[in-house]
Amino acid sequence: MTEAPRTETELIQLAATGDSDAFGALVQPHLALFHNGIQRILGNTADTQDALQDALMSIHRDLPRFEGRSRFSSWGYKICLNAALMVRRSRVRLHDMERAEGLAIGPFDERGHHTEQDRTPEWQEEAQAHQLVERQEMRECLTRALDELPDSHRMVFVLKDLEEWETDDIARHLQLTPAAVRQRLHRSRTLLQARLRTFVLGGHP
Amino acid sequence: MTLLPSCREVQTQLTEYAEGTLPLPRRIGIWIHLFFCHVCAGFLRGLRALPGLAKRALAPPEAAPEEASRALAEIQTRLKRQQS
Ligand SMILES: [Zn+2]
Repeated sequence: MTEAPRTETELIQLAATGDSDAFGALVQPHLALFHNGIQRILGNTADTQDALQDALMSIHRDLPRFEGRSRFSSWGYKICLNAALMVRRSRVRLHDMERAEGLAIGPFDERGHHTEQDRTPEWQEEAQAHQLVERQEMRECLTRALDELPDSHRMVFVLKDLEEWETDDIARHLQLTPAAVRQRLHRSRTLLQARLRTFVLGGHP
Repeated sequence: MTLLPSCREVQTQLTEYAEGTLPLPRRIGIWIHLFFCHVCAGFLRGLRALPGLAKRALAPPEAAPEEASRALAEIQTRLKRQQS
């Protein structure tokens, strides 16, 4: 325990031979990143715990094949996202609501045009101006709103807008058409934007 | 489909619009609508701002939560058992 701290490369070599302390020291600095990535996809559920354990086992198993071409953190993070998607796939498809509403923020008149023409401040500018983004309440508001999205909608939003995956890759992983991905993405963005607008500007929840 | 789409139609198609998957006449219709309608233009600005803000708000916390550390400890125990 009094040894000098080892480099990541040394830890990888030791952990690959089965040294569990080295594995702990290797993973610990990235654990918050790994957990956060999985939780954004699966929500705050027991599935997240399962996926994290699966991912850590995979990371350990694949360590001998880690070639150092990418950073350990991004290599491990990719394994974590895959584990989250695998856990989701192994579940019986949860009741995934298909709703026509939630694609636009009204109110509209009978011709589909906005009835309110007053210039309200824009939520994203207010959020920036008051540095709300750094606040815990904003994180909680977004987490709650994400949790309330149907499973496949949340995953599409997370993979596209947070992880920056291509639409076609998301479609392949979730076994959807690209058009269905775009539709779910749009509904998620619209609902999240409505929530953030209420949170930032106040008004009716 | 009329040439100039309504606000509801515009808002419904803004993700398709941003990804460039709409037919050209509809893209032009939306482009013109956005030029004149500040509500829909504001909606689009909000959609564009959302990923950046969400990324910052949902960034990993500095310390891993309790349950993540428990998961790691569990795996370490399993590894120790395998070793012996
Ligand atoms: Zn409009």
